[in-house]
Amino acid sequence: MYRRWLWPGFALPGILWLILLFVVPAYAVVAVGFGTVDPVLLQPVPLWNPADWNTGWLVEVLHRLQPGGTFFGVAVRTIVYVGVALVLSLLVGYPVAYYIARHAGRTKNLLLVLIILPLWISYLMRMLAWVNLLAIDGYVNRFLTYTHVLSEPRDWLGGQSSTVILALVYGYIPYLILPLYAALDRIDRSHLEAARDLGASPWATFRTVTLPLSKAGILGGAVLITLPMFGDYYTPNIVSGAPTTSMLGNQIDFYFHYGGQPTIGAAITVVLAIFLTVLMAYYMWTIHRAARDVPAV
Amino acid sequence: MSVAAERPAASISTGERVRGWLRNPWGRPRFLVLVTWTYVVWSIVPVLIAVQFSFNATRSRTVWQGFSGRWYWGDPVDSVWHDPTLRHAALQSLKLGGADVLVATPIGVLLAIGLARWRGWGSRPANFLMLFPLVTPEIVMGVSLLLVFTHVFTFIHTGTIAQILGHVTFSISYVVVIVRGRLFSIGRQYEEAAADLGASPTVALTRVLLPLLTPAIVASAAVVFAISLDDFVISQWLSSGGGTDTVPIVIYGATRAAPLPSTNAIATIMMVLTLLSLALAFLAWRAFTREERRASVATEFGGFTV
Amino acid sequence: MMSGAGSFLAGCSSSTTPESKSKNGEPVGPGGLPMARPDRRVKMPLWEDPIDSGLEPETGGTFTVFNYPAYLYKKLLKEFGEKYNVDVQYTAFDNISSGIQRLASGAVTPDVMEMTPDNLSRAVAGKLIKPLNLDYIPNLSKNVWPDLVSPFYDVGSRYTVPYTIYATGIFWRADKVKEDIASMSQPWDIFWQADAYKGKTALLSEERETIGMALLRKGHNDINTEDPKLIDAAVADLKELYDVCNIKVDDIQYQSVPEGNSWLHQAWSGDPIAAYIYYLPKGTPPTALAYWKADKGQVPVQNDCWSICATTKKPVLSHLWLNYLLDNGIAYSNFVDFNGYQPPINEIDPATLVKKGIVPENLQSAVLTNEDLGSDSLQYGTLTARGQQLWQDGYSDFLAAG
Repeated sequence: MYRRWLWPGFALPGILWLILLFVVPAYAVVAVGFGTVDPVLLQPVPLWNPADWNTGWLVEVLHRLQPGGTFFGVAVRTIVYVGVALVLSLLVGYPVAYYIARHAGRTKNLLLVLIILPLWISYLMRMLAWVNLLAIDGYVNRFLTYTHVLSEPRDWLGGQSSTVILALVYGYIPYLILPLYAALDRIDRSHLEAARDLGASPWATFRTVTLPLSKAGILGGAVLITLPMFGDYYTPNIVSGAPTTSMLGNQIDFYFHYGGQPTIGAAITVVLAIFLTVLMAYYMWTIHRAARDVPAV
Repeated sequence: MSVAAERPAASISTGERVRGWLRNPWGRPRFLVLVTWTYVVWSIVPVLIAVQFSFNATRSRTVWQGFSGRWYWGDPVDSVWHDPTLRHAALQSLKLGGADVLVATPIGVLLAIGLARWRGWGSRPANFLMLFPLVTPEIVMGVSLLLVFTHVFTFIHTGTIAQILGHVTFSISYVVVIVRGRLFSIGRQYEEAAADLGASPTVALTRVLLPLLTPAIVASAAVVFAISLDDFVISQWLSSGGGTDTVPIVIYGATRAAPLPSTNAIATIMMVLTLLSLALAFLAWRAFTREERRASVATEFGGFTV
Repeated sequence: MMSGAGSFLAGCSSSTTPESKSKNGEPVGPGGLPMARPDRRVKMPLWEDPIDSGLEPETGGTFTVFNYPAYLYKKLLKEFGEKYNVDVQYTAFDNISSGIQRLASGAVTPDVMEMTPDNLSRAVAGKLIKPLNLDYIPNLSKNVWPDLVSPFYDVGSRYTVPYTIYATGIFWRADKVKEDIASMSQPWDIFWQADAYKGKTALLSEERETIGMALLRKGHNDINTEDPKLIDAAVADLKELYDVCNIKVDDIQYQSVPEGNSWLHQAWSGDPIAAYIYYLPKGTPPTALAYWKADKGQVPVQNDCWSICATTKKPVLSHLWLNYLLDNGIAYSNFVDFNGYQPPINEIDPATLVKKGIVPENLQSAVLTNEDLGSDSLQYGTLTARGQQLWQDGYSDFLAAG
């Protein structure tokens, strides 16, 4: 009934928009990262023709990323923060998603609303809330000293890695729980009943049926929160402010906003984007493999 | 867990239920319940406390010293009502949110329909392209957009227009994902039925498909509004200064420099607006799908699976 | 991986070092302009003619001020807006380097902006600021300290007028820090002995001030050095601070110290006064605040300025803004009611500040007089492009904590 060109026609405005405002900007980053610099104002001059490209900035950034270089510590620290935050998020998020998907009964809708709620509360407001709570005279310290968990107030905001990781978990975990819940909710009850009919204990059922079937959800949620986390720079700034907890995003922010070398900033961005593309490729390859393994139901 | 004792839930008395629960103190559900509710409390209570302190009578954000509307309208210099920075930021946030909804929703709806039904060779890369903004770190998008507006599309300076363009760019994908889900659950049969009844393609699209998509369109509009209000990185990188700062930018500056409860106040106001818009969208969705929910009961019996 | 990438990109050129063109063999700053020092006066060239005299100020629309946060009494800004019927806006930058960067990249288009002497050459060479017509700014010659009417970095005040003067020193909580910093043989050493104040110690988030402080601590008084060895050694010293006290870096000392969130902070001399005037919470005595700065010749002094941005659509009004801030009453109110940073205004006699109770006695060292300036004072000045990059890379290295 419909003309065949109708559907590409519908898609055209959106695709055009994404090309102009997503693909072209991405190329602009590359062009600046391989460009030169105007010596007076130290502003970048992008080079569009790959034949003209100046590899100096990229080489400089890669050089600094080597062990012993300026960026090595930051890069390692970023990977560690993201990794630990991911593990903690899974440890907390999986049980929550599992409970809501499988056991919640009458409170299911209420719980769903409550876990979706933080997604709509501004990230910065949630961080602001924690900054106030973690102050020396804030509620956290007052509670912990009152219950004698701590003998004296702890300086949570004084440049602690643990605070940054906890802030990352707090900030990003809602984005993990939702896809996890969706994946767990989709698991057909009949699989679990079959396992139990065959004599498996609840734990064995979980281990051999539920967990493997939720792997795609775990992976999807993990990708959804780790990729943005790698570019996070505002969380360490808000809850720490010490160079010893800075992440790679802070370096990009520094080189663009603090004068002098947007070219280095662009080169770091290019390296980060390539790293994340590798991660994404791994994810898609795993999903592709998993899709082949799961028998059609 | 015994399979045999499956009495209807209504016939188990409350006492028996509680005793059953207590008899198994280490049962998995109990641990999960604890974790889940602890998480919910840990997730939401800090925000509630932040809202509480927006009503604090003094400047402190940590010591409660009485209830006051000072930071909302009372204080002649620093309250949200009187401080032009905060007012401008709120207006700017709303402006960007509104523009984002108006631009991203139509483009996204068209893109969703197009991608879902396009069968040609370009559809796979197009789909791939649409997914990219969802997983790109915001700082990468912020860097790329800043560079493109200062070196390529230099007729668009940083500022409100640039911010709107940036917001729309990351919002389109959300619209597509939401609308696409609805498209799949609708399927093609309604339009085919309309065609059988003699409707032209235009009528089928505008009078059959579009109304069916309305709940998803409303939902995606609300989502776009919410994520636009919440956006920090793109707004900050494309900001041209005081007049184009949004509420998240003001909050960020305040948490690093000189926080006052008025920061809590403006954040609370934005949060309330976001939640209201979501509640409206939810109600609209329910209203639009009410007919369907009633109809699906009828069609299931008719052997007509939807 | 590196060699593979290298051979792939081998065809392209590779360079990252900016050139620092020399004139007569002497190093020059950005745009080939000579680098000003307290004992080397420099007159800036005019890249365009100043506006004509006698024009009417523009009204309507917005007037944007671009400066550090919390550095201007907002009430004065509002009154200026009401007087000339413009919608005033205040845009803040995190530090002056960031501000210049945003201005240079075209990301912001303000009307007036803060300027510092060490960034002036770059701003002029890059045509970021407009030359002034001093007919609109009579308050400059009338009210300002004679030494600053035509300062060494901008002879004839062609582009800037002074705003505040300050020195860099140490600001701390006397009730939390046990050491008597002022009587130490090298007070800057306190940062390297601040184990007891872990997480409560911070430096200014400025590339010049941090590395400069490390240089001064070791007795190298040339804070405009471009010797890579000295800069690297200074950065290495700064990196020791991670383990000693988990050093933080920010520019909010005027609030964090009085509120007790920071106990030991590198700070400008206006900060303790601002803390006393505006940010000290009820219940904290003024004697809890303490400040030290070195003697002349070892203490960096600086004066911030105002300049008019080239992107302004209201040049006449911008001139009037500069004049407005140099008005005796306005400058006094800005200082005493909020800012805490001394304006170099003749009527505001430093000798009387303590007597009048504007500055408490224990913060007397935060007051500057005309004698603190002069050709034998230490001031951060312009660097060559290469020197700029050395300092920036060093600072980024310090921030990366790698």
